[in-house]
Amino acid sequence: MNLENRSPQFALELKEISKVYPGPPVVQALSDVSMSVTHGELLGIIGSSGSGKTTLLHIMGTLSIPSSGSMFIDGRNVVGMSDKQLSGVRSQQIGFVFQEFFLLPGFSALENVANGLLYSGIPSDERMERAFEMLGRVGLGHRGNHLPNELSGGEQQRVAVARALVHNPSFVLADEPTGNLDSENTASLMELFSTLNEEGTTVILITHDLEVAKSAQRKITLRDGRVDSDLSR
Amino acid sequence: MNDSTGNKFTDLHSKMGLRDTFSVGSSGLRTRRVRAALSVVGITIGIAALVGILGLSQSGSADLLKDLDALGTNLLTVQAGDGFRSQQASLSSDATAMIDRIGPVYEVSATTKIAGGVFLNDLIQDGRTKGITIVAADLNLLRAQRGSLKSGKFLDEMTSQFPFVVLGSVAAERLGIRNTSGKQKIWLKKKWFMVIGIMEPLPLAADLDRSAIVGYPAAGKFLEFEEPPEIIYVRAYPEHIHDVRSVMPATVNPENPEEVQVGRASDVLEARIAASDTFLNLFVGLGAVALLVGTIGIANVMVIAVIERRNEIGLRRALGATKFHIASQFLTESLLLSVLGGITGVVVGISVTAIYAISRDWSIVIPVYVIAGGILSSILIGGIAGFYPAMRAANMSPTEALRTK
Repeated sequence: MNLENRSPQFALELKEISKVYPGPPVVQALSDVSMSVTHGELLGIIGSSGSGKTTLLHIMGTLSIPSSGSMFIDGRNVVGMSDKQLSGVRSQQIGFVFQEFFLLPGFSALENVANGLLYSGIPSDERMERAFEMLGRVGLGHRGNHLPNELSGGEQQRVAVARALVHNPSFVLADEPTGNLDSENTASLMELFSTLNEEGTTVILITHDLEVAKSAQRKITLRDGRVDSDLSR
Repeated sequence: MNDSTGNKFTDLHSKMGLRDTFSVGSSGLRTRRVRAALSVVGITIGIAALVGILGLSQSGSADLLKDLDALGTNLLTVQAGDGFRSQQASLSSDATAMIDRIGPVYEVSATTKIAGGVFLNDLIQDGRTKGITIVAADLNLLRAQRGSLKSGKFLDEMTSQFPFVVLGSVAAERLGIRNTSGKQKIWLKKKWFMVIGIMEPLPLAADLDRSAIVGYPAAGKFLEFEEPPEIIYVRAYPEHIHDVRSVMPATVNPENPEEVQVGRASDVLEARIAASDTFLNLFVGLGAVALLVGTIGIANVMVIAVIERRNEIGLRRALGATKFHIASQFLTESLLLSVLGGITGVVVGISVTAIYAISRDWSIVIPVYVIAGGILSSILIGGIAGFYPAMRAANMSPTEALRTK
């Protein structure tokens, strides 16, 4: 087991990551995927369905363990960590934005954002304070007391973005974040990602939508579980 | 190994305080109030039943014990038993005097049943006696029984000589006589007797509740009756009651002491307390079954909650929740549910006990162990019911939990 740590030059670094689902049937979802994401990047990972992008997202987010290879977050090898340690990594270094938003019903927008800090050991008052600030940054400072079902789809996704950023993670993983949004809200959300990126947030955007990927400075295309191309603008 | 960066990571732990655990655990209930309320009904009924049953039985026993205390356990009944001789044994006519000579005895009162019917008037057919018996009694009967009168007065030196009668509580009720103010006469063994008193129930001699009591002299004069005592009630000082009991047969019938039956009147009450304990066990068993059903109900609701909230579990794992945090959340939810049900059950149980006890004029007794037991068992139930769903939630793979289809 290689627990050697590297210098935190990269926010995220993958070395020959493979993932095999034992099946049956046995599925080789990823084969020798290597890539590195520098701090402050806005990276698009593009692939059609079945290309392995969801598996890659899960591995990058430490929600799934690769079959082989190593992965470094801020220079620290996370392969071989215990489930508990990985939870710790997620609570502090990774932010998630999902296609379905996954806001908790019954919690206000502000509370949903504060939930991003729930497992970080920060006291409740400070969580709310930071959530309020973050909600302001995504332009929803005035909507904090509203419940998710009182918000539009675009607003809900902004709340989810705020939740993903509130703990100041090393990078944000956005999985088809515009998949449930209309074109207007899609444009607006992509603008938000660009702004946040300009302010220093590392964003990894996983999508099948080439239009959405346009705003990324760098695009990695996945095909059949392999990196097909890696292009910088 | 170069660990220049290691320090930055050593505190990469997910943390959640107790207050947050409680708040997260209760969130599932806050957002699904109706379901939460319905799912605790089983526990509420079970705990309410147990608290109510234990409370009622304690209140009831307390009442019986209070009765027992008031009535005393030092009343002996002496009567003729079956002897070895073929003819029916009976007490001798001087048995009362002989018993009175036993040192620790301070009250002796004889009674004898008289064959004959008791009717409200002389028009009623002979057969319809309403189960009331005529009893000749000594004047201190009421004192020996520690009984009291509902109305009128008991027989005295004068009234025991004449056709006057005192009715037991049940006898008065069956005859429809409520008080003694109306100079009510009754047709007793084909003679008119005037009712001068009605007794309150006598718990130590329920037979007397169904009797019409006349004086021995009046029985002799008007009912052509001359029989020796049949049952003698004896009060002795409590500390000597066993001694008195053991010398009683030989005192009453020195020749054939085996023909004398001595009993303790309060044994009946004690048997009633014991009998109520038997019922208690039965009902506690039923309450336990209700609790078991309630437990399964909560476990069921929790399993459904885990399935329904798969995405929430996935999200929380993504936000950094450990398996332990997820398990704690659902276990807390289950505990809150059952404790909520338990507390409601205790309140309902106490209310039922109080209402019933008040309606029966009992003193309200709810032992602390019943309340504590109710709450504790609901905690235990929450733990048991929540364990499997919590484990299931905790062991759900995050990627599986995040799937939307």
